[in-house]
Amino acid sequence: MSHSAAAIVLVACTLGTYAFRGGVMLLLADRTIPPVLERSLQNVGPAVLAALTVSLAVSGGGGSGVEIVPIEMAALGVAGIAAVWRKNLLWTLAAGMVALWVLAAF
Amino acid sequence: MQPAALPCGAMSTGHHSDARFGLDRKALTDAVPLVIPAIPFGFVLGLAIAESQMPLWAAWLSSPLIFAGAAQLTMVTIAGTASMWAIISAVLVINSRHVMYSAALAPPFRHQPRWLRWLAPFVMIDQVFALATLRADDPPASFRRYYITIGILFFSVWNIVVPLGMVVGPIIPLAWQLDFAPVVMFAGLTLFAVKRVSAGVAAIVGGLVSLATAALPDRLGILIGAISGVVAGAVFEEWLNSSDSRAQDEPDPTGSLEGAAP
Repeated sequence: MSHSAAAIVLVACTLGTYAFRGGVMLLLADRTIPPVLERSLQNVGPAVLAALTVSLAVSGGGGSGVEIVPIEMAALGVAGIAAVWRKNLLWTLAAGMVALWVLAAF
Repeated sequence: MQPAALPCGAMSTGHHSDARFGLDRKALTDAVPLVIPAIPFGFVLGLAIAESQMPLWAAWLSSPLIFAGAAQLTMVTIAGTASMWAIISAVLVINSRHVMYSAALAPPFRHQPRWLRWLAPFVMIDQVFALATLRADDPPASFRRYYITIGILFFSVWNIVVPLGMVVGPIIPLAWQLDFAPVVMFAGLTLFAVKRVSAGVAAIVGGLVSLATAALPDRLGILIGAISGVVAGAVFEEWLNSSDSRAQDEPDPTGSLEGAAP
């Protein structure tokens, strides 16, 4: 990635994020957002995070193509169980990574 | 980071401020349970920045400027395999949920000075929102002190931990496969974010569509999956509402509709 592309990404993401965080508060302080939009926004997080997880989990070496590595999928399964059980990100990370290391050792 | 992982129930809602200090000590106490999980996340982000194909200066500056964990992790992870526009779109889609926070916190900020209304959005992350919402009815001066305290705390911790991960990252052996850590983090965040049935539908559809479109160039599958998931969640919710209202119109022989999703 070139320096100029990185600079554009950084500026656009900074301004866009600020606009999302401050927009309603600064410009529409006396109005509320429509309930339909609000409900949809509540589902943005789960939808995009799931899409992102899958996209990263199945991408091949160097990020191109599709490659499903069984031990990585198993490690993600262990991490998922830990996430549901402990409801804690540190436990989830530890469980997923330890599972990956153990499975890779065999 | 997603608010689902936050132990909000553990927070105190009583008003307290210490006039001798500029910072609200009660706010610091409230924030500790939320700061602790942010530390490993920031560290993993630092490691990902060290391995990213994005220039180091730009990836590092995302911490003080964008200050949004999941979006930053996405940006540095897909840099190099996605185009500039795909990265910007992905980051903005992830951060669009902040519109909701902005709307929810607009009432308490109506009584705040202009300088705070302009500065506050910089630090309006999931955790700050979760804590500040509980203080929305406080008097303006104590709300201000509370918000500034938690804002400074999270901003400082994040901007210490992320560079720490960047420094340590390059000396960690490749065999540790820490490039897999962001995937695990995202999987956990997804599960934490699902708090309603419609969110579950959004996540499942988002994931499946992303899988079906994974071979597309430019990581387009992420955006297509995300949009499909949001639409599926909205359609499901609409269907649930319409079947609820139909059920209410008809006589209910059991006399109970408890347990129906909102």
